[in-house]
Amino acid sequence: MASLAEREGYDVGLHLLDRQVVGADDRLVGKVDDVELVLDDDGALVPTALLVGLPALLPRFGRRLGGGLARAHRLVREAAADQELPLVVDFDLVEDVSSEVRLSEPAPGLLHRMAHERAADPRRCRVGDLLGLPVRCAALPRRSKVLDLRMTGAPGRPGEHRVVAFLVGPGRPGALFGYDRSSEPGPAAVAAVIHWLHRHARVVELGDGVVIDHEAGEVRIVAGTSLSPLRG
Amino acid sequence: MRPAVVAVLVALTLLLTACGVVAEPDAAAWDERAARALSDAGSQVATARLALESADEERTWSAYATVLVAQAEEAAGKAAEDLSRVQVPTARADDAADVLDLLDQAVDLVGEARAHSVDGEYDDQALLDALDRLADELRRAAP
Amino acid sequence: MKRYLAVLLGVLTAIGGFVDIGDLVTNAQVGARFGTSLVWVVLVGVVGICVFAEMSGRIAAVSHRATFDLVRERLGPRMGFLNLVGSMLVTLLTFIAEIGGVALALQLVTSVHHLLVVPFVAVAVGIVLWRARFSSIENVLGLMGLALIAFAVALWQLGPDWGELAAGLSPAEKPGAESWATYAFFGVALFGAAMTPYEVFFFSSGGVEERWTEKDIGVMRANVFIGFPLGGVLSVAIAACAATVFLPTGIAVETLGQVGLPVAVGLGKIGLAVVVLGFFAATFGAACETGLSTGYSLAQYFGFPWGKYVRPREAAGFHIILLAATVVAAGVLLTGVDPIMVTEISVLFSAIALPLTYFPILVVANDPDYLGEHVNGPVANALGVVYLVVITVAALAAIPLMIVTSMGQG
Repeated sequence: MASLAEREGYDVGLHLLDRQVVGADDRLVGKVDDVELVLDDDGALVPTALLVGLPALLPRFGRRLGGGLARAHRLVREAAADQELPLVVDFDLVEDVSSEVRLSEPAPGLLHRMAHERAADPRRCRVGDLLGLPVRCAALPRRSKVLDLRMTGAPGRPGEHRVVAFLVGPGRPGALFGYDRSSEPGPAAVAAVIHWLHRHARVVELGDGVVIDHEAGEVRIVAGTSLSPLRG
Repeated sequence: MRPAVVAVLVALTLLLTACGVVAEPDAAAWDERAARALSDAGSQVATARLALESADEERTWSAYATVLVAQAEEAAGKAAEDLSRVQVPTARADDAADVLDLLDQAVDLVGEARAHSVDGEYDDQALLDALDRLADELRRAAP
Repeated sequence: MKRYLAVLLGVLTAIGGFVDIGDLVTNAQVGARFGTSLVWVVLVGVVGICVFAEMSGRIAAVSHRATFDLVRERLGPRMGFLNLVGSMLVTLLTFIAEIGGVALALQLVTSVHHLLVVPFVAVAVGIVLWRARFSSIENVLGLMGLALIAFAVALWQLGPDWGELAAGLSPAEKPGAESWATYAFFGVALFGAAMTPYEVFFFSSGGVEERWTEKDIGVMRANVFIGFPLGGVLSVAIAACAATVFLPTGIAVETLGQVGLPVAVGLGKIGLAVVVLGFFAATFGAACETGLSTGYSLAQYFGFPWGKYVRPREAAGFHIILLAATVVAAGVLLTGVDPIMVTEISVLFSAIALPLTYFPILVVANDPDYLGEHVNGPVANALGVVYLVVITVAALAAIPLMIVTSMGQG
């Protein structure tokens, strides 16, 4: 099985989100319901933790549905006031990402509830918030969104993990089904249909040309920033 | 939002009027219902016949035959009742009396078969013949 | 030697496990109304379930991921959730139908009304799901389900005109009184009965539970490629029996008792007793499988511990779901709803739910991240794509056909 450790980089939405988290004792911990990123001093987005639990999952259902479900969840679990914050698994504990996310420690006592200060920290954001953000760029169709985040480094390896590029284009995050990578042949017919549907999708390297505006809820790509095709 | 709400309301109203209980069905619709009821009843009569015959030849045990015939009686009764509840179009007034009469016969006869089955009398040749005749008649009546 | 025995046991249980209440009722209904002119749909369905069960089994063996893990990983939380709700409803509906089927089978022996039997059946299913070991559920009930082979023997004893049966295989031999819409409706229902999604949920989750590895792929393939087609042969035998006995007399199949009647005619009391035992085992086995499948799909979507090998205390959520599903099923049946009608609806909605489950399986079966060298070959891919189209057409056609034919009555 090709583990991510053998690859140069990976796509967060495709390879990390929604995977099963397994403790070192083979116990199932939960799903990667979201991933927390922090904005470094030098402007890089660095993954810091896997978020687990309904408070992490429900917001990913979209603004309207997710908001409604999250409100319903708070109503049901009112007794525990901190239930609106997700559980956290530090990214350093991730040992390997294959078809599951394996941790270096046994499951019991591993998860801790996110602190309120941490949730309020403006430098932190979630992958789920970035995916689906509208993208403003002259060279892309108007309905373009952030489809996925491309990351360098491999979990469990020393070295830098950070988001290096965005996959942008019209459509829905996750609808590429992994057909953006050249390694995956797929049934030719399915691959052809999905490539055609995503013919306008591009990869854009993070840098001065890309501005993430959390206030306005959009990503702006400055004219002249180079966009490369998906399978380049 | 507004046009969608209106569309849904219109669709609901149409649906409700279409399902109107007291609306007089046209002759064709009644014919179709009658044919369905007749073939249903025919199927139940034939089932009862086959169940009695198999029990007589000791090919089933009594509980099995009784359950089969009792379920056939229930289904035949439901077919007759469903049709009798439908308003008869004036063009079919005479036919309707015949059809409903035939269906009632079927219900009675399958009921008799059930009584025989409960008592363990599977070899009543007269009943078997009557079931045969009625099954034929129902099949002919249902186009 | 032991390995061959394991293969044999797997094949035998796959045969017995293939047929459930949906197959029993739908095949008998179709045989009684259409003779053998819809047998080709069973063949198409069996090839389809083989293609996708093999893929999901291979994924389970190599990457230890069960079907609903894949659904969420590839469809994302939103579409995955939609799929979860749909699949749960269909599986629960099937679960209700299976429990009703067990009660109906017991009614045929005791003549006690099935409503009075339902609570006891539900308790029995609950206890088995709670206490029994996974392999014993599968093996004991699967082997008992083999009793349905009596249908094939009965067919031979009935001595039908084989030439006529064979000539009736062509769709052109559809009885003239039936419309093409009804023909298509029953075709979709038969397809749904053969390809019910829970079979794949259960099969792949079972593989993960039994810790299949790459070495087990051969055994898994033998089970799928021998067991399921032979199960399909049983389905065809049921249809052919009904065609022989019921088609000439104009009997429409509406009860489980009628499904077994051709065997009584062909083989007598003992054959009938064997078949009723088969009804019991097939429906009880399928009740356990569908019950477990509801727990599997929920637990795999949300990622909490699941499985019969995990102690109930550690997989509390999973076991609570099983318990809740059993209570709901018993409650629905106690409203007096006809289990046969629930069955008819469940096979139809199975057909509707198929694409959402089988598409992610096909995509992941091509992903070297999961399968390495065991990714789909060209044959599996060609069949997979063809079936994706077939499944989508069937799913889209199901509801319109249901309305046009008023559930096949027209």
